[in-house]
Amino acid sequence: MKLYFQENLRKIDLTLIVVVLILVSFGLLMIYSATSGGSKGENTLIFFKKQLIAAFLGIFVLVFFAWIDYNWLRHYISFIYAFIFILLLIVVLTGRIAQGAQRWILIGGFNLQPSEFAKIVLIICLASLFSEKKAESLENSDVLRAFAYLIPLMLLIFIQPDLGTALVLSVILLSMLLVAQAKVVHFGAIFLVGLVLFLVVWQFHLLRDYQIKRLIVFLNPNIDPLGSGYNLQQAMIAIGSGGVIGKGLFSGTQTNLKFIPARHTDFIFAVIGEELGFFGACFLLFLYFLLNFRALSIALSSKNIFGTLIAIGLSSMWLFQIITNIGMNLGIMPITGIPLPFISSGGSSLLANMIGVGLLLSIYRKRFG
Amino acid sequence: MIRSEEGIRTRLTIYFIIFVSIFVLLFSRLWYLQVMAEKNFSQLAERNRIREISIDSLRGSIFDRKGEILVNNRPAFSVIAYPVLLNDKEAVNRLANLLQIEPVEIEEKLKKYRGSFLFSRVIKKDVSLKIISYIKEHQDEFPGVNVSIIPVRNYLEKNLAAHILGYLGEISDEELKMKNFADCQLGDEVGKTGIERFYDSILRGVKGKRKLEVNAFGRPLRVLEEEKPLAGYDLYLTIDKDLQRFVENALKEGIKLAHQQGYRKARAGAIIVMNPQNGEVLALASFPSYNPSLLSGSLSPKDWAYFKSKKSNYPLFNRAVMAVYPPGSIFKPFTLVAGLAEGVVNYSSVFLCEGKWIGMGKSWPKYCWKRSGHGRVGLGVGLADSCDVVFYEIGYKFYKIYRKTKAEILQDWAREYGFGSKTNIELSSEAKGTVPDAKWKGAHYQHPQEKIWLPGDTVNMAIGQGDLLVTPIQIAVAYSALANGGTLFQPHLVKKLGDSKSKVVHLIKAEVKSKISVSPSILNKIKRDLKRVVTEGTAKDAFLGFSLPVAGKTGTAEVKGKENFSWFACFTPIQKPEYVIVVLIEEGGHGGSVAAPVARKILSYLYHQPIILPAGIKDFSR
Repeated sequence: MKLYFQENLRKIDLTLIVVVLILVSFGLLMIYSATSGGSKGENTLIFFKKQLIAAFLGIFVLVFFAWIDYNWLRHYISFIYAFIFILLLIVVLTGRIAQGAQRWILIGGFNLQPSEFAKIVLIICLASLFSEKKAESLENSDVLRAFAYLIPLMLLIFIQPDLGTALVLSVILLSMLLVAQAKVVHFGAIFLVGLVLFLVVWQFHLLRDYQIKRLIVFLNPNIDPLGSGYNLQQAMIAIGSGGVIGKGLFSGTQTNLKFIPARHTDFIFAVIGEELGFFGACFLLFLYFLLNFRALSIALSSKNIFGTLIAIGLSSMWLFQIITNIGMNLGIMPITGIPLPFISSGGSSLLANMIGVGLLLSIYRKRFG
Repeated sequence: MIRSEEGIRTRLTIYFIIFVSIFVLLFSRLWYLQVMAEKNFSQLAERNRIREISIDSLRGSIFDRKGEILVNNRPAFSVIAYPVLLNDKEAVNRLANLLQIEPVEIEEKLKKYRGSFLFSRVIKKDVSLKIISYIKEHQDEFPGVNVSIIPVRNYLEKNLAAHILGYLGEISDEELKMKNFADCQLGDEVGKTGIERFYDSILRGVKGKRKLEVNAFGRPLRVLEEEKPLAGYDLYLTIDKDLQRFVENALKEGIKLAHQQGYRKARAGAIIVMNPQNGEVLALASFPSYNPSLLSGSLSPKDWAYFKSKKSNYPLFNRAVMAVYPPGSIFKPFTLVAGLAEGVVNYSSVFLCEGKWIGMGKSWPKYCWKRSGHGRVGLGVGLADSCDVVFYEIGYKFYKIYRKTKAEILQDWAREYGFGSKTNIELSSEAKGTVPDAKWKGAHYQHPQEKIWLPGDTVNMAIGQGDLLVTPIQIAVAYSALANGGTLFQPHLVKKLGDSKSKVVHLIKAEVKSKISVSPSILNKIKRDLKRVVTEGTAKDAFLGFSLPVAGKTGTAEVKGKENFSWFACFTPIQKPEYVIVVLIEEGGHGGSVAAPVARKILSYLYHQPIILPAGIKDFSR
């Protein structure tokens, strides 16, 4: 009995589970703090409640994906790709009908944001594709097929419009190409194509200054309505004024007086920085470091390249979201509407991330075959 | 296991390095923002959240010396606007039309504001209830426009003492930069002239402060801190309200008197009544006058133009302190003091007046006002009947000293009595006047020939003409020094400051500028001769039948291109004088026939004598 228990314990990455549970709880607490300072009569707890439901759902999803053998997914690649493609198409079409930007589908009172799940789907598809390779490094055809996976999803997300998530997808692809041992030539070619595209747009003045500005505003309508960098400035003031130990939970002036925009979503890190200070922010960074460190360890310990690539895909997705979101809050990254993994309010994002953690646990569990 | 594959391990190492770098980068930035730059950002956060608004303090009232009120504040409806909200041009035009002002005026005011949602500008003060109710009923037509009850300065006696009191106005950009107005803000009302100006910081009080916590939309949530404003001090003037009123009327009547005597161009004048024992000004009048209430509201550009035009004869111009005039014969006592004190002349000196004086040579004759001549006269008659020849002689003696020693004794004595410098009375834009000397002449004139100090310059100055220019207040101060035995006071208008709440009172003491050392025997003789001016000299007719002894001197100052300016300066009682009176009527003719009767009237009022003016006063002296 004891032996059986120990045997099973070895199959579970306890550190990862603890880190994720702390992250989710931390997120819930900060969403509560960020939204509870509203005036009377506002239904301010709605975000907290929704996130709480998503967290419970997330635990089930996590357990489910940890329980299944991730290798099964290989058999359903076409199916899940088609499924997410259709969902994204529905979003775009209903968005067109509604004559405005729309990123979600309404399902049973919840807004499902397919683009969040598209990231996971892309990771699985690319991992499957790259693990089928014959030689040690990738062939040109592999790289082209990878782009064939990427581009439809990316375009559908880009025109929603959701520039941030589209960027996440391309970073996932680049990271997985790196670990799947794409040749230096491939990176060179991708860089060149990117550069040429950029130069064509630039050189032929296909976009004028105001058009670029408009494009940015168009792609991120909710982020910076005043356009003056005011929001960004307020987030930095919040973080800086938090100091070493912070102003105390629920006591951030920038937070409670609504100087910080999008307090429970894109700028939730500013709330953490203000209320919990340098210690709180570093604690979050430490959790993220552990999360990614576990993902990397799992990538190393995976019994096959499919698992390694999934782990790296997930890690790169989180890493990119962490640096763009926190970097934006700290004023070193441009404003893109990318959520902070496990922390920002948003059910789809949380669920997708929980799927990712479930997959990691599955890879860990199956590392010995 | 995958870790056995060499290629993948290399790639994962690269990935690991990128991953760690990202955390190092975020950690460093976090360190910078929260540990190194915390102070800076904390200040920014506080500035975000805290708005300080000032609470206006109530301006002190002004009373006369007996405690009768002259100026206070009354609550009045005012139209205010929030520049952030009132940005619709049509609404501005509608408002301008309703308030009957130019839209540009409103736009100018809206342009200058302090950027906060909480900051409002007063558009028009003291607006009728009809307009207020119209705005309230049509609020949606006037976005950002509101009504507020704001204290408005209330000049209860209208034109009375206007030049002393002054008026208020919105603080100008230049004033905002001045040290005196350091704690003032845009939109504040400050004293522009007069007592309101000089004692502005005392009357103004100390503003209160209210620290508010505001949210991101500028909406105030709660009061963090409040400092109550401190009301300004009340001022008690040295002015006697009833005397002031009497003096102002006497001045107007004096001008009428000048008209009756054929001096039709007389349009302006000034009178000062002062206590020679302490420099207190009991009355100070300048004509024409104005109503400070008109200026303290929002004066229309049209009214401003009127006040500044020749047609109005410049009512804002306080002739008692801002205007300079040749003193004419009222300067003669000072020439006499100089002559006696320096031993240039004495009471045994005898002068021969033949109407014409050729002391400077036959080709430079000068004339006495009495062309038939005074005959052989001493200093006594010389002063009493204002014989010019006597003073030409004294002047010429001073010139001869100058030629020998370069000493400018007459000028020195004039300066001793305060001429050529400000008296420092608490009124703005006081003039210095001119005591001409060789240096001044050299600097003032263009042509080399004109720059030379000539005998005629000293001779002219001795009879109060030439380039000598004085203000009426200087004459009042100088005659006070004659009257009180040599003390040169700084004249003042405020007797005490009072705090209406705590009843604490600060007395303002008389400031002695200097003591002039002249022997009492000289002064007593001059006083005696000044008394003779009234009893048997140039002011004899004006004071006919007046029962009190008065020492005085008439002056008829000649101004090129104008009629003579009529002066009279006097004091009484002679031994221990209580009052000095100076009267000036611009282009009013002779001192004895216009200014002196006015002074007599005022003396009659002061000593409760029947106010009778003898008919057919004739004075041709100067």
